[in-house]
Amino acid sequence: MLSYFANPQRFDRLARIAIPVFGVLTLILLGAGVYMSFFASPPDYQQGDTVRIMYVHVPAAYMASALYAGLAGASFVYFVWRHAIADAAAAVIAPIGAVFTALALVTGSIWGKPMWGTWWEWDARMTSVLVLFLVYLGYMALRAALEDAQQAARAGAILAMAGVINLVIVKYSVEWWSSLHQPASVFRADGPTIDPSQLWPLGLMALGYTTLAGWLVFYRLRSRAIERRADALQRRNEERGRA
Amino acid sequence: MRVYSAIFAREARLAWAGGGGAAGPAAFFLAAITLAPLAIGPSGDLLAAVAPGILAFAALLSVLQSAERLFGDDFSDGTLDLYALTPVSLAGLSLAKVMGQASATLWPLPLIGIVGGLMYGLPPGASLVLGAALLAAIPALALTAGFAGALAAGIKRGGLLIALIATPMMVPVLIFAAGAGRSAFDGDERAVANLLLTLAISLGTTALMPFGIAAAVRGRLG
Repeated sequence: MLSYFANPQRFDRLARIAIPVFGVLTLILLGAGVYMSFFASPPDYQQGDTVRIMYVHVPAAYMASALYAGLAGASFVYFVWRHAIADAAAAVIAPIGAVFTALALVTGSIWGKPMWGTWWEWDARMTSVLVLFLVYLGYMALRAALEDAQQAARAGAILAMAGVINLVIVKYSVEWWSSLHQPASVFRADGPTIDPSQLWPLGLMALGYTTLAGWLVFYRLRSRAIERRADALQRRNEERGRA
Repeated sequence: MRVYSAIFAREARLAWAGGGGAAGPAAFFLAAITLAPLAIGPSGDLLAAVAPGILAFAALLSVLQSAERLFGDDFSDGTLDLYALTPVSLAGLSLAKVMGQASATLWPLPLIGIVGGLMYGLPPGASLVLGAALLAAIPALALTAGFAGALAAGIKRGGLLIALIATPMMVPVLIFAAGAGRSAFDGDERAVANLLLTLAISLGTTALMPFGIAAAVRGRLG
């Protein structure tokens, strides 16, 4: 499967289908999710209307870590099998993941002010998301600093994989501090503790964010491939002009 | 084994002779901990409370400060190419190299840490615990800086990039090293636990990071 789509032409065919499919899905899911989050769901009995920030915040935080998993997975595939598309995927995922991480941090801060009475609290989860943001920045800075594409790809892959181990240790070590953040309430062994009227918009938004990320990734991958091809053509034309 | 000790000795000698030895990181550490109280204010209680954190953080910065030199010079003059060609494990060579340089340049940090703790008003016991925590943290800090330095080897003005890559990886060791000093200052029994966790992270880093450094060196050599 991986090797099948490592062929650029096959991948291009896949991307041509995936881009409109993800695009339409995103519009439907995000549209329905936004409508349900902001208009059709009841205010929380404790938090009032501020609970609506959750529908923007929680999926962003989930995408921040999901995209890092994608980045590390793509890096692993590149590192082991040297598939150029896996490296392109890693390069493309990083800025998208960084934006979702920034969104999670900002919306969390806006939510924290009315709920906890503070913009920022150095609790375990917020701190580890901030560290995740730094890891994304470091990854992008390293790739940008290395001019040789293959060196950038290999160094980036190693850094992204080391980041996984690091992020796990960071998560457990920052929990050393007492935590203010509410514990996980959706994925629990005894079923979600969140009311269905809130779970529905949250789920729709999470799916919508996922398809949005998928859309962006495929779109950027395809434009990157086209960009490369255009560069190669231009170089060939210049060489022909010189000869 | 003889190869590793030869590399270790070479790095230590080079750091002593060429790079000013321990003077660079030590002077940086001293400058940082001199400036911090001027910024925080002379209140004794406050200074003693923040001492473990400031000292551990300043030690981290002084390790970062010398990270660029670790692989940068050997990358540009081709020494790393030769290392990669030898039949000996590159991970072992990297470990010997980083530790050789660390032992020559970073040994004053725990000592200055103890003195600094006393200057900030920590009780002698807590200062000693903090010094021990800094000593325990040095392998983890040096190897992490070495990993970032290997990834960024040969990049012009790579110092900032190294700092950006290495800081997220230094979070755990900073938490536990500073935590050891803080719990010793508060007088609770978690000081030893924090100290042991610092040591555990250093040992884990020593076991794993050389492979990361070796992969980074290979990746950069292409």
